[in-house]
Amino acid sequence: MSASPAHAAAGHADHAHHDEGSKFQIYVQIAMLLAVITGVEIVAVYLPFAKWILVTSLVVLSVVKFMFVIFYFMHLRWDKPFCTILFFIGLVLASGTMWALLAIFGAEASTPPPVG
Amino acid sequence: MSSHAAPATIDHHHDPSTSTGIPNKKLLMWTFLASDCMFFAALISTHLIYRLHPPAGGLDPKVIFSPELTSFSTFILLMSSLMMALAVTAIQKGNVKSCRWSLLTTIFFGMIFLGCQVYEFDHFVHDKKMTLSNSMLGTTFYTLTGTHGCHVALGVLWLCLMYVRSFKVASDASWFGKQLLHTVTLLVALLLSLKVTLGLVHGLQVEPTIGAGIAHFFGHEFIYIALALVAYGALAFYFAKPAGPVQFNETNAIDVESMGLYWHFVDIVWIVIFTAVYLLEYL
Repeated sequence: MSASPAHAAAGHADHAHHDEGSKFQIYVQIAMLLAVITGVEIVAVYLPFAKWILVTSLVVLSVVKFMFVIFYFMHLRWDKPFCTILFFIGLVLASGTMWALLAIFGAEASTPPPVG
Repeated sequence: MSSHAAPATIDHHHDPSTSTGIPNKKLLMWTFLASDCMFFAALISTHLIYRLHPPAGGLDPKVIFSPELTSFSTFILLMSSLMMALAVTAIQKGNVKSCRWSLLTTIFFGMIFLGCQVYEFDHFVHDKKMTLSNSMLGTTFYTLTGTHGCHVALGVLWLCLMYVRSFKVASDASWFGKQLLHTVTLLVALLLSLKVTLGLVHGLQVEPTIGAGIAHFFGHEFIYIALALVAYGALAFYFAKPAGPVQFNETNAIDVESMGLYWHFVDIVWIVIFTAVYLLEYL
């Protein structure tokens, strides 16, 4: 027993309206979450914890913010996986470059000699 | 001013006409963003490397940076991303009016971010004496954040062009001249607003009382306030009233979405810069 075209159209419109409303709610909730995480980051730097704990926490929080933006605001969650793969190729190369440069120049032997 | 919504069968995430199933504009933008990741990684690494080995007698970032201002501009950029996402959703549903308002709000937040950056740079150069060439911190900091600021400025320009495009009338033969004039008026209005806002902040800073600061502001900025009001009047009462049905509709969603990808990328780059350049200095 198939639905009439009028019912199908009405159903589609209802679905679209519901989808629009749910996406609006998701976007607002994520924006609020990102704002809260930013606030936590700002407060965290003044807390009396070990430096490695704070650095790790800040990096993790930044990665969480980063992922929420790319998967929800940039629609990677709903797009074809190839978009995610393409962007992550650039991201992995960029992260690898950063890691290599910081490892090379962060070494004790890379400390520049005192001037004079 | 109404637009004709395209059939509700448009799939905004898949395009069967391409071999990848992804709209070509979206694929191009993701490829560009992947390459831009490496560009910013190089700039951020350079800054961090010089922070690992700061030259003796160099400037102290904790004395120079203002965490309040940076936190505010970070919040503003996050909210601009929200509005951009809402603009994409609106045009995917064929709601041109809502898309325009979301684009305008995104432009507004983008201009606030740029205003904060202009104020920050001005403050660092004139009050903190950190220039592009007098310290390694200044060189790497201005190069990195300045490049990001250029990306934001280009994003605002792109948003303005998209906003103006949404008023293009299908049957208008002289559309190019009108669209050009509309764009110029919008950009002039935004730049005047930026100048007036920075003038107000300057007036409040240099004068001892709020009243004297406001008097100083009106004394120095009156002509720019008047010009900005004229520009906004033209935008609201002339350019925002197209003479017929506009071409912009749901089929343009991919254009808005591609622009949105660029804008969100600017936001995620700032997420990294905010942590790597600003917050880590306070540990």
